[in-house]
Amino acid sequence: MKKKQAFGSWLVLAAAAVSAATMLVPGAVEARNIKVGIIDTYSGPPAVFGNDALNGFKMALDEINKQGVLGGKIEFVTRDDKFKVDIALNMAKELVLKENVDLLVGTVNSGVSLAVSDGVAKKEKIPFITWMGKSENITGRNGHRYVFSVTENTAMAGKAAANMLSKKPYKKYWVAGDDYEYGHALDESFWRYLKQAKPDVEVIGKTWWKLGEPDLVPYFTSIQAANPDAIHFCTGGASMANVLKTVKTTGISRKIPVYIHTAIDYAVLKPLGVEAPEGVMGTMDYLFYYPELSMNQKFVKDFQARFGTPPGFPAFHAYTTAHFIAEAYRQAGKIDKEKFIDALEGLKVDSPVGKVEMRACDHQAILPILFGTTKISKEFGFAVATDIMTLRGVEVMPACGEIEAARKGQ
Amino acid sequence: MEQSITLAGFTSQLLVGLSRAMILFIVSSGLSFILGVLRVPNVAHGSLYMIGAFVAHSVATAVGGVSGFWLALVLAPLAVAVISLIAERTLFCHLYEREHLMLLLFTFALMLILGDLTKITWGADYRSLTAPPFLQGSVSVLGTAFPRYNLFLLAVGPVVAVGLWLLTSRTMFGKIARAAAVDREMVGAIGINVSWVFALAFVLGCLLAGLGGALVSPTVSITLGMDHTIIIETFLIVTIGGLGNIWGALAGSLIFGITQSIGVLILPQFAIVFPYLAVVVILTLKPTGLLKSVW
Repeated sequence: MKKKQAFGSWLVLAAAAVSAATMLVPGAVEARNIKVGIIDTYSGPPAVFGNDALNGFKMALDEINKQGVLGGKIEFVTRDDKFKVDIALNMAKELVLKENVDLLVGTVNSGVSLAVSDGVAKKEKIPFITWMGKSENITGRNGHRYVFSVTENTAMAGKAAANMLSKKPYKKYWVAGDDYEYGHALDESFWRYLKQAKPDVEVIGKTWWKLGEPDLVPYFTSIQAANPDAIHFCTGGASMANVLKTVKTTGISRKIPVYIHTAIDYAVLKPLGVEAPEGVMGTMDYLFYYPELSMNQKFVKDFQARFGTPPGFPAFHAYTTAHFIAEAYRQAGKIDKEKFIDALEGLKVDSPVGKVEMRACDHQAILPILFGTTKISKEFGFAVATDIMTLRGVEVMPACGEIEAARKGQ
Repeated sequence: MEQSITLAGFTSQLLVGLSRAMILFIVSSGLSFILGVLRVPNVAHGSLYMIGAFVAHSVATAVGGVSGFWLALVLAPLAVAVISLIAERTLFCHLYEREHLMLLLFTFALMLILGDLTKITWGADYRSLTAPPFLQGSVSVLGTAFPRYNLFLLAVGPVVAVGLWLLTSRTMFGKIARAAAVDREMVGAIGINVSWVFALAFVLGCLLAGLGGALVSPTVSITLGMDHTIIIETFLIVTIGGLGNIWGALAGSLIFGITQSIGVLILPQFAIVFPYLAVVVILTLKPTGLLKSVW
C-alpha cells in the first residue's frame, strides 16, 4: 500500500519534472508550488494516526488547490519516521536540504516533534508545525520562533481535567501509566493544575509499566487493593486500548472513578466495539459527532465518503493545519519563511469546529477541550462520549506569562 | 505511600500471575520444543503468536457469538500450523545443517516478513476480541474482583501441560522426537524419516504459539508489535528454564508471571524490573538454566 503510494508520488514527481522542463522558457511565470515536507509514522501501530492525519491533509489540499495559493499549489512529500527520533531527524534534514521543502509538519511522537523542533526547525530556520505531538514542552519550555502546534497538548488536557475533577469529592489519587515522555507529561500537567485547584488532594501510589506491556491485569488488581478515591491513567495510542480493555475486564471503573486523557477518542473506542468500558472520564479536542455544527457535519460527510471512515482527531488537526498554511502564505504575499511565520502568528482560520486562532505569544493553536464520559452507543455500535462539557481554549491554556517564564528557565 | 498488603490482595495477585504464566507457558513450551528437537532458535515464534491472535479475531467476528469464540480457539492454532508447515517444507528444511547464527538471522528475517504480511493482511489498526458472556466480567476471590477469563486460563494451562506430557512421553511420535533431540543421526540410522519428524515437531511447536495467541486475544489489544514483546519474554523463559526442556519452560513461565504480579503489588513503580531481576539471579547462580538443557 505504502510502497504503491511512494511509487505513485515518484511518478508524479517525474511527470512534474518533465512538465517543468518543458516550461523552462525565458520569462516563465514566477509562481511556484509550496512544498510541505511531512514526517510522520506510517508503519507499526501508530500508523493508524499517521494515515488519518494524511487523509485529513489531502482533503484540505484538494479544497485549497482548487483556487491555488499565490498562483501555485500546495504539494507535499511524506517520510516514514517509524516512530523513531533518529530516523525522523535524518529525514527532516533530508527534506530540508535535498527536497528543499518550504516547511515541515508531523508527527505522532512527542519525542520526535521535540527533536525536529530543536534539531532542524530552530537550526535551519525552517517552520515546523506539529499536528499530533502533544507534549506541552513543544510550544512551552522548548518553544521558539520556528515551531507551531495545531494540536491540544498535555498542559491543556491536564488543566481541563483538573478543572472538572477538582469539583468532585476525590482526594486520594492513584497514578498509573506508560513509562515514557508522554505518560509522565500527562501526570505532571494534570497534577500541577489539580493541586492548584484543590490543595488537599494526595497521590497514594504510582504504577508505571513499560510501554506496550501486554497484560495489565496484575497492575489493576494491585491498584484495586489499595482502594484510592480515583485513578488517573496516563496512557495513549495503542496502550490505550489495552488499558480500557483491562478497565472493562476487571470492572475497576464501577468501583473507582477513572480519568484518562483521550479515552473518549473515536480511534480508541471504535476497535473496542461494545466491549469498551462505560463511565470512564476522558478529554479530547475533537469528536466527529460533537458539536453538531453544519461545518463539522459536512467535513465528516466528505471525509467518510472519501475514506470510508469518520475522521479522527489527527485528520481534524491536519485539515486545520493545511488551512493555516494556505492562509498564512496568502497573507504573507510571497513564499518566504520569515514572512510566513509573521503571518501565521495570531492568524485565525475556519475549521470544522469554528474559527481557530494561532496564539501569537507561544505559537499554540487555541483549541477547545471536550470533557465527557464513555457510554455505549446503539447508533454507532461502539462507545462514544456523553455529558460533554466544552472548556474554551483560553481557559485551559497556560497564560503567555507562564510560557515566557518556562522558556526563560530553559 | 505505605500500604498494607492484605491476604486477599496477595492471593488475587498470585492468581493473576499464575494465569499470565499459563499463556507464557503455552507459547514458550512451543519455542522450547522446537529448540530441543530442531535446534532452531525460532525468533519468528512471536510472529506466529501474533498471527494466531489476528486469525482468532477474524474467525470470531466472522462467525460471531459464543460458537465463534470456540471456533476461533480451534481454527487459529490450525491456521498457524498450516503456515508453519509451509514455512518448514519450503524454507526451514533446507537450513537445519547451518550454524546457529545463520538460523538466527534467517528466523529474524522471517519475523520481519511475517510482521509485514500481517500488516498487509489485517492493516495497522488494533483490534479487540470479546470473550463469551460467561467468561466476561469478574468474580469475587476473597473479596477482591478477579477477571473470569483469567480463571479460564488457569484451567486451560494445566490441560495443555498434561497434553504435552502425554504426547512427548506416551506416544511414538513423542518418543522419536525426544530421541531426535538427543541424537538425530541415530534416529535416521534406524530408518525413521527424520525430515518429517522435524516437520511435525516444528508444526506442533508453532501450533502452541498460535494457541497462545488465540487464548490471549480477549485480554489484550491485538496489534502489530505484540510479536516483539512475547518473543523477548519467551526467550528469557526458555533460557532460565533450560534450553529445549518443556518443564523448564513451565518453571520459567511460573517464575516470570509470579515475580511480575507480586512485584507490582510490592513496588508498583518498579514492577517492570522484577521478572528480569529473577532472570539475572537465576542465570548468575545456574547459567545453564533451572532444568537440564538438551543442548
